[in-house]
Amino acid sequence: MALPDTGLRDEPGSFRDPGNRVFHRAGEVLRGLDERSARDWRALAASDFFRDLLANGQVCGTQELFPTPVDVPWAAVLRHERVPFVSHPYEWSYGMLRDAALLHLEVLRAALAAGFTTKDGSAYNVQWRGARPVFIDVGSFEAARDGEPWAGYRQFCQTLLYPLLVQAHLGLDFQPFLRARIDGIEPDQMRRLFGGARRWRAGVLTHVHLHGAMQDRNAEASTSAVRAQLRAAGYSRELALATVRGLVKLVRRLDHRPGESHWSDYQRTCAYSVQDRQAKEHFVDRAVATMGPGRVLDLGANDGRYARIAARHADHVVAVEQDPAVVDALYRALRDEGERRILPLVMDLADPSPGGGWRGVERAAFAERAQADVVLALAVVHHLAIGRNVPLPEVLDQLAALTVTGGSVVVEFVHPEDPMARRLLANKPDGLFPDYRREAFESLLAARGRVVARTELPSGTRTLYQVVVGG
Amino acid sequence: MTGEGRELAVTHLAYLDAGSGSLIVQAVVGGVAGVAVAAKLYWRRLVARFRRQPTDQG
Ligand SMILES: C[S@@+](CC[C@H](N)C(=O)[O-])C[C@H]1O[C@@H](n2cnc3c(N)ncnc32)[C@H](O)[C@@H]1O
Repeated sequence: MALPDTGLRDEPGSFRDPGNRVFHRAGEVLRGLDERSARDWRALAASDFFRDLLANGQVCGTQELFPTPVDVPWAAVLRHERVPFVSHPYEWSYGMLRDAALLHLEVLRAALAAGFTTKDGSAYNVQWRGARPVFIDVGSFEAARDGEPWAGYRQFCQTLLYPLLVQAHLGLDFQPFLRARIDGIEPDQMRRLFGGARRWRAGVLTHVHLHGAMQDRNAEASTSAVRAQLRAAGYSRELALATVRGLVKLVRRLDHRPGESHWSDYQRTCAYSVQDRQAKEHFVDRAVATMGPGRVLDLGANDGRYARIAARHADHVVAVEQDPAVVDALYRALRDEGERRILPLVMDLADPSPGGGWRGVERAAFAERAQADVVLALAVVHHLAIGRNVPLPEVLDQLAALTVTGGSVVVEFVHPEDPMARRLLANKPDGLFPDYRREAFESLLAARGRVVARTELPSGTRTLYQVVVGG
Repeated sequence: MTGEGRELAVTHLAYLDAGSGSLIVQAVVGGVAGVAVAAKLYWRRLVARFRRQPTDQG
């Protein structure tokens, strides 16, 4: 129920559990709880395991508002720490999805040991602070009922375990599967992918085949009847914990690394001279420094060299890159450094995440989430304008659209004479891009903002610009 | 076009719950003790079916 006159906005991605709902007010992320959820919350808030999860940063910071606001239809209201950038599982790399799965299992294990459980097991319960996963669905905790298996197991399989199996065992990128289906991959579909000898791969026989067969065979039985039967047959909390331990062991074994790709070795093989690189690093550092803290979006981030420079000054950096193997390598490096301000994401800029789920807004489109104070587009415009045939004015429109008014676009123009641009142009019919010229590029920039800095790289075939948008 | 039969089959499917199997399979993946629980559950279902049959007819 929205009450628009109080400046309150329901979170479109939070309606699946009628007992609680996230909403926004005055820049704050709040969660309303009905009577029953409020009781669950108070038990949770008094528990040691939850306090520990909060202290370790495994669950997002949460406090109850006192007194309870009277202008909302809820028995209690929580305020959550705001995660820097909301991302979706199909924008994560393999290692990210795997770490999200391990975090979810660890949260569940701690909860079970303390007599609690989670109502669901979705990948969407996890978000990121830089390269560290955080469990955000505080409304998902409830007291465990003795003798009941985990209600979230199916969702865990569909949105976390199965995508990991698909990539680790079959070598297929998991992202398109999750992007196409908000509820993940179903056991029936998985059984078809894992026929023949593939059924013997780790985790497949039980979590895929047996799971699918049991679903078919018990389709007529209601879940409440089956719960009662399991309880009567002696299902216990120890068994639930054993299942979680088994899942942790399996997910740990799935330590797959996406193979080397064309872009993996870019920094070593790229055409830059040392002087070019130093000049570019200096330019980017100055441009981000003049903008002060805020959000930086690094488009075509590759190994994150410039994302790291931006992170010296920014609050957080979202590093977008199309190549899943490159993003995975970047994620592992950032994770091992304990980086909390750079979030690497897999996304093709020529095909950004659309809105998804109910009404197409349950999962917000990238463009709805991504506005930044500084947008870095370094050595990437030619990939869009020549490699993907996107008209140059539209590429610049998009860069401007991703930037807040008064924010900066830092863009590198690779001249048509540059060896890399020549390679891209060689794949296209002669004379296909007559407007891909420096003068045309500069007048397009001038039409979209004020060029406040410019530098030629020493090699003479690349120019960097800082443009203040709408300024 | 395919008529009421198909319509019925589809609504029927919508009321089936894939979650039931997801609950039972968790016992099985929980190791030996879990398999014993699943076996007991199936055994009880079997016994219940035999017990019910005479009264159903009588
Ligand atoms: C030439 S590298 C530049 C890397 C870094 N920005 C720099 O300036 O050193 C281009 C990068 O952009 C990525 N890229 C190319 N087209 C892209 C697209 N459509 N969406 C996202 N990334 C893209 C490539 O995978 C590659 O990592």
